[in-house]
Amino acid sequence: MTSLSNDVLLESRGLTVRFGGLFALNELNIDVRNGEVLGLIGPNGSGKTTFLNVISGVYSASAGKISLGGIDITREKAHNISSYGLSRTFQRSRLCLSLSVFDNIALGAQRTLNNGLWHNVVQRKAFAAEARKIAEEARELLGVFNTALPDKLFDPAISLGMIDRRRVEICRALIGKPKLVLLDEPSAGMTHDETDQVVDEILGIRKSLGGLTIIIVEHEMGLIERVTDRCVVLNYGKKICEGKFRDVAADPVVREAYLGQA
Amino acid sequence: MGMIGQHLLNGLMQGTIYGLVAMGFTIFFGVMNVIKFSHGDVLTLGAFGGLVAVWAANALGLSVPLQFIVALCVAMALTAVVGAGISHFLIMPLRNAPPLNMLLMTMMVGTAIREAIRLFFPNGTNPQRFPELLPAGGFNIGPSFFRTDAIILIIAGAASIGAVYWIINHSKFGLAMRAVAEDTETARVMGINFGRIIPLTFALGSITAGFAGMIYALYYSEINYSMGLLLAVIGFTAAIVGGLGNIWGAIIGGYLFAGLQTFVVAAMPSMSDYKNVFAFVLIIVLITWRPTGLLAERGSERV
Repeated sequence: MTSLSNDVLLESRGLTVRFGGLFALNELNIDVRNGEVLGLIGPNGSGKTTFLNVISGVYSASAGKISLGGIDITREKAHNISSYGLSRTFQRSRLCLSLSVFDNIALGAQRTLNNGLWHNVVQRKAFAAEARKIAEEARELLGVFNTALPDKLFDPAISLGMIDRRRVEICRALIGKPKLVLLDEPSAGMTHDETDQVVDEILGIRKSLGGLTIIIVEHEMGLIERVTDRCVVLNYGKKICEGKFRDVAADPVVREAYLGQA
Repeated sequence: MGMIGQHLLNGLMQGTIYGLVAMGFTIFFGVMNVIKFSHGDVLTLGAFGGLVAVWAANALGLSVPLQFIVALCVAMALTAVVGAGISHFLIMPLRNAPPLNMLLMTMMVGTAIREAIRLFFPNGTNPQRFPELLPAGGFNIGPSFFRTDAIILIIAGAASIGAVYWIINHSKFGLAMRAVAEDTETARVMGINFGRIIPLTFALGSITAGFAGMIYALYYSEINYSMGLLLAVIGFTAAIVGGLGNIWGAIIGGYLFAGLQTFVVAAMPSMSDYKNVFAFVLIIVLITWRPTGLLAERGSERV
């Protein structure tokens, strides 16, 4: 299969991740097209989160190839991959709780910040201006989610409730103006209504940013149906089906994987 | 009564040194969960580096203030390089090894540094006189006499503690450091170069040791190859008492230990040789009472 060159943002070919004798991912070929929302679904342990971990550089691939925007990132370190425009959230909330909301969001802006020693130590005015700009952008982003959040910018993250923490995490993933955002179970730990709300907010932001590509891992099928353009179904680290959610959900192989029956 | 000023000054001086050393321990633990027992010997190395720099500057005919500046820069640069080197070449490769291996490794590095100074420094087994580079003399307030150099050193030490605190809390490097301390994986995914931040953090922590070594050398005018040993034990104790991983805790722990020592010396001058014994006994009581330290790491708070 050849990729549609410009159209494909992320491409994995023969991607394999082995933990000892276990194949977490087995010869996986996945294309993520520019501007789409791709749903990654499958039973527990099918390799969804492993896929996110390997493309974001947390795990390294045992075999195969991943490219992002035409750049081979298979052997790249996590911080370099982030600089190519990939950001993510985690299944369990991974905010740095002792840090302020602002500090957490500023972490996500690493790829756009000037980290030079001269800039940081001597050009304090430029440094302060940059910090102000980030704060301004963070306020704007937070405001999209929850109008009360911008006022909590300098509060410690630990003081926020679960849903606001998730929002801050999403802001952290978005502030660096990524090309590709990975959302790992955005509904985890939240009620149904809260999930709906956050997803609406994500879609709203996506519209306002224009052309943001998203890979979303989720168990909540209503959510997947609502937000995704296309789905890939994994089972035992292999792709078993691919297509629109409705077609995928009707596929007998997928039903068997989920329910254990034909 | 006339001694109160001296006791106060002495206590503040030692507290500053202990606080600086403890801060290093707490920074290393915060980011890497490692107790770096070579910390005290890095301090010694800084002081000896400073001494060599003074000799060299003197031979070049530099003025005394310049000698002081050169010595300080050399001590700090040397400890920064050694600290970063230890973390890059020894701690990073061992970061997934059992903590005891790491502990053992840092103890061996410390011993190697100490023995290298003893064996290779000219006449290294004996104490070395450290030239007086700061203005001599002092002034009286009431019956108490205050040494000018001590005042300068205390202010410089406190300023350096403040500077480190500022770097950690008000710079991008500090933010990266705190993020790595809290959650390494998230920090990496957010674009923080872990392999760069860790050595820089160790350089920062080691610079404080170099600075403490210079303060010690300038105040006592004498350094020896094993001076870092007791300072490391006291600094480590101070960090534990304050709550390992907490910067303020380390600083408070440092001044507290010095306060206990000074109290023993002031209250029972005839027992002053036992000041460490008394201080450590009181510390043991204290950590029995507050096992997690005075200011424990709050939940997941680090550095």
